[in-house]
Amino acid sequence: MICEHCKQRHANVTVTQVHNGQKVERHYCEVCATQFHPFQFDVSEEPTSLQQLISNWFNFVPVNAKKESTTKQTTNPKACPSCGFTYRQFLKQGKFGCGQCYETFSEQLPQLLERIQAGTQHVGYEKNAPSKEKVEQQINELRTLLHQAIAEERFEDAASIRDEVRELENKIKQEGEGNA
Amino acid sequence: MNIEHFLTNASPSWMQHESESDIVISTRIRLARNIANTRFPISFTEEEAQVVEEKMMKVLLSTDVNPYQFSYFQIKDMPVLQRQILVEKHLISPNLARRKKIGSFFLTKDESISILVNEEDHIRIQSLTQGMNLKEAFKEARTIDRYLSKSINYAYEDRYGYLTSCPTNVGTGLRASVMLHLPALTMTKQMNALIQMMTRLGMVVRGIYGEGSENLGNIYQISNQITLGKSEETILHELQEVVEQVIQKEQLARKNLLMRAPSILEDRLSRALGTLKFAKILPSEEAASCLSNVRLGVSLGLLEPISQRKLNECMLLMQPGLIQQYIGTTLQPAERDMYRAKLLQDKLNEQDEAINNGEKGEDFL
Repeated sequence: MICEHCKQRHANVTVTQVHNGQKVERHYCEVCATQFHPFQFDVSEEPTSLQQLISNWFNFVPVNAKKESTTKQTTNPKACPSCGFTYRQFLKQGKFGCGQCYETFSEQLPQLLERIQAGTQHVGYEKNAPSKEKVEQQINELRTLLHQAIAEERFEDAASIRDEVRELENKIKQEGEGNA
Repeated sequence: MNIEHFLTNASPSWMQHESESDIVISTRIRLARNIANTRFPISFTEEEAQVVEEKMMKVLLSTDVNPYQFSYFQIKDMPVLQRQILVEKHLISPNLARRKKIGSFFLTKDESISILVNEEDHIRIQSLTQGMNLKEAFKEARTIDRYLSKSINYAYEDRYGYLTSCPTNVGTGLRASVMLHLPALTMTKQMNALIQMMTRLGMVVRGIYGEGSENLGNIYQISNQITLGKSEETILHELQEVVEQVIQKEQLARKNLLMRAPSILEDRLSRALGTLKFAKILPSEEAASCLSNVRLGVSLGLLEPISQRKLNECMLLMQPGLIQQYIGTTLQPAERDMYRAKLLQDKLNEQDEAINNGEKGEDFL
């Protein structure tokens, strides 16, 4: 959107004014906005809804890649067997139809997730994480193995067992913090 | 617990403590979950929706092993005004409130926990606490999450974690947000730069009513954008750090304002109190802005003391739905503005009596 005042710069400030109970929204660039309200003005940084913003984000495809992907999609509109969603439909709605979509669109997903997330691998809580007691038992078993390995001077084995123990210990600690 | 309890109570118990700072208002945690092998609400049938509802009712309303006491409501039974009030109190989302048929929610008596069913995802667990309290709010939500997971098979994949309808929630399904009152940063026009900085750090800044709403009364909501590739602890920790920095910046901006333009500031904040006390017509934008200024004035010691709790209650009550509930009848927008002015005056005078101990605010008559 172009600034309503200077009609040159990009409008990124929305000024909402209330006149006789009628709400008027004006869109100015930062420079013009300050002229209109020298001391106080309400800045709404997000004139578009988050939904719209995300949808635009998904749709963003580099110019050269665009042609290719659109032709590909029209010739091969792969639909999710469970909910019938196509990738195009997902782009339009910004939402998947079911859990299986994650598998159906596994080709396109990593690219998309890299753009909107911090990676493509879940590192948070695991659904079927074993209970604390179980992990502790596992650690004890590994410790016995570790002592054996040291006694038998198999130091490489010992090192890898030690790493395994550490990893499990961290897991317990993490889960503990989350519930503390 | 019937719905009236949740509609008339303008000061739920989770909001009743007096927090030390006026900057952080509340903390909210939301966990998004879906049920395995069931299509998401965007594409499921009414029958599937019903199955989800029944599963949730069975788990949350059963009395044998259930540590919680939830009240259950279906959105389709509710008049528009009731829905609006629940949105204004942040108990349900605007998205759920717009539904004609499908969708329901569970609430605890103190309103600190709400579980939305068949909104964008099958299950959304929400936990609200006062002030800055990310850890505690998360613990609450996580406990319910574990309780549910005992009887409900969640949609989950090793690679992508908890599967959600929108890929912006996949992974942890965790959205943590802190509601902040930032008048000095807004007044000194530092919010633009700050919002840009926070966006780069993977945070989202929004107005008071969540998605797509404008900033009313200088109240902002900061939340994490990223849900995949970071652990729950990291997400909470990063948000905590960013929020702490923003609080420091706000405090600095207040100090600078006080130093550079003390009389202009005092004048403006006092005028806000004057408007609240004497105006006969108050549109919500003006009321929100005045309440924000009064809040700042009280916090800086420039105005007579008014409790945070009272100000929070005013902020909540001045919303269109709650005003109508309070007055007990539906009102036209123009009437609403008149009742808003009256309601806020009543509330503020109530406070004067309590604090001045009988010397009923002579200065203001």
